[in-house]
Amino acid sequence: MGEKILMKGAEALGEAAIKAGCRFFFGYPITPQNEVPEYMSKRLPKEGGVFLQAESEVAAINMVYGAAGAGARVMTSSSSPGISLKMEGISYIAGAKLPCVIVNIVRGGPGLGGIQPAQSDYFQATKGGGHGDYRMIVLAPSSVQEMVDLMGDAFDLADLYRMPTMILGDGMLGQMMEPVEFKERKPIALPPKDWATTGKKGRGKQNIINSLFLIAEECEEHNFELKKRYNEIEKNEVKFESYNMEDADVAIIAYGTTARIVKTAIKRAESKGMKVGLIRPITLWPFPEKVIAAAAEKVKAFLTVEMSTGQMVEDVRLAVNGQKPVYFYGRTGGMVPSPEEMVAEVEKILG
Amino acid sequence: MQNLFVSSIKLYALGFYNFKFYIFNFPFCRRQEGGVTVEFKSRIIIITGNFGSGKTEIAINLARKLNEEGKKIALVDLDIVNPYFRSREMKEELEKEGIRVVAPRGALAQADLPAISPEIMGVLEDASYHVIMDVGGDDLGAVALGRFHGYLSTHSYEMYMVVNAFRPFTRDEGGFVEMMQGIEQSSRLNIDALISNPNLGAETQKDHIIQGHQKVLTMAQQNHLDIKFLAVEEGLSQEIIELYKDIPIFPIKLYMLPPWC
Repeated sequence: MGEKILMKGAEALGEAAIKAGCRFFFGYPITPQNEVPEYMSKRLPKEGGVFLQAESEVAAINMVYGAAGAGARVMTSSSSPGISLKMEGISYIAGAKLPCVIVNIVRGGPGLGGIQPAQSDYFQATKGGGHGDYRMIVLAPSSVQEMVDLMGDAFDLADLYRMPTMILGDGMLGQMMEPVEFKERKPIALPPKDWATTGKKGRGKQNIINSLFLIAEECEEHNFELKKRYNEIEKNEVKFESYNMEDADVAIIAYGTTARIVKTAIKRAESKGMKVGLIRPITLWPFPEKVIAAAAEKVKAFLTVEMSTGQMVEDVRLAVNGQKPVYFYGRTGGMVPSPEEMVAEVEKILG
Repeated sequence: MQNLFVSSIKLYALGFYNFKFYIFNFPFCRRQEGGVTVEFKSRIIIITGNFGSGKTEIAINLARKLNEEGKKIALVDLDIVNPYFRSREMKEELEKEGIRVVAPRGALAQADLPAISPEIMGVLEDASYHVIMDVGGDDLGAVALGRFHGYLSTHSYEMYMVVNAFRPFTRDEGGFVEMMQGIEQSSRLNIDALISNPNLGAETQKDHIIQGHQKVLTMAQQNHLDIKFLAVEEGLSQEIIELYKDIPIFPIKLYMLPPWC
């Protein structure tokens, strides 16, 4: 502990999961996150855990479903097309109220797309890519260290609320190397997994993990119960970073890799006499709408920058609620916006 | 069958080692003002190592250095492991300087396919070229060298393993040996010497280099290997040159930077 090492984002995710008590990993390879399964295949057997390369993403997510049902801390990892394949299983896991961690290292889409970094899976992650009235907690790190720190949160939140939690990164975060430190985490009080299918152990009733509710009234009740949980999360678990917002004229809203580039752009804009701040959502769901709404009273305009053609910008507009103009700048398909492009957009806004 | 295969490689390797020994005893470096010129006996230089150990940065820097010395250089991007941060991303810039960059062409350059360009054999066989091979990481990346085993085993080459003691799998002796043996077995070639590349990315300080290099020194000694040079980011190299009198310091400029730098 405390010693820094140099890791790729994808490797750091693997080590952080092991440190968070994850002993089961089921996955199927896809670029640009192959270093996660690669790392897990080397490390998990040494920790007495199980690494299994499934025959497909569909099989992998159903293995996650099974292990989570038995109360294990379990993770899977993939990139965009692979996550699409996992969507049915994710919906089942949400419906069965099971905790697990899913990593998506996003690449350009739609379809097979390419292998370069993108942020075009925001809708899929935050609006329920699978079917039904479910939500996932979505964490969006913007450095390798933050990937490590959020992994512990991801497992804790999943256990606390009994639901799937996603870490949404992009190819850049997955592939880049940065020094990381694995800090000792304070354990938080978690509810016992008395629902897990680990044998009756003298109880009268067996535990059954299922997402089937044939009686409409019961299915509605189940959904209301989930919704109650989601409301609680929206109240308690919002995370964001506010940077240089004190006297900003333009607030840029960006997450992940894009937010890192925004910080460079802010410094360059400053040298040209422009006051620009950044609100960086760390939880994409729940979305930090209150801080954005509050900023709308102070700034002249908002600029959302994404590696997509405009997805998160919809949530920004909802949060701003017409108080100030919301502009958008995006690169997509694996292209990464440069600090210069961002400064030019701010210049256009400030006229 | 497997054992027979492996031990025959080792016997072959021993024979080869004597030949390499001659190279080690040759005074291959001389100190110059502001740094050291690293010299090579063979025209084929193979850079292997753990993925993320810094092979690509070192290969690019070596290519530029040797190019500046007036040699005709081909930099071969043989990375079949990494999807990003590969030598091919520097193709345009390096080719302007006259360095030939050999990598999959067109759209294939951006693919995650184990595509190996037929041009590689071309530059290996063309004796007018000094060839630097930037091999993919770990034993998995070194597999691609197997394709050239037939040629390499009958020609003079130098194979180096880049080690960064701050990387998770080469932090200790056990991990290092496993990595080295994996690379040697899957490439069916032998590592001649190490390249010490201790760094913590953008956070690297003098003390990290000293601490990381000490580990590599120990690894090298215990495995009877030489260290070809100590690679140091150019901003720190002057301080380090003053510290080490008996090892060549190779200052490197970093090229594979994230988009916010």
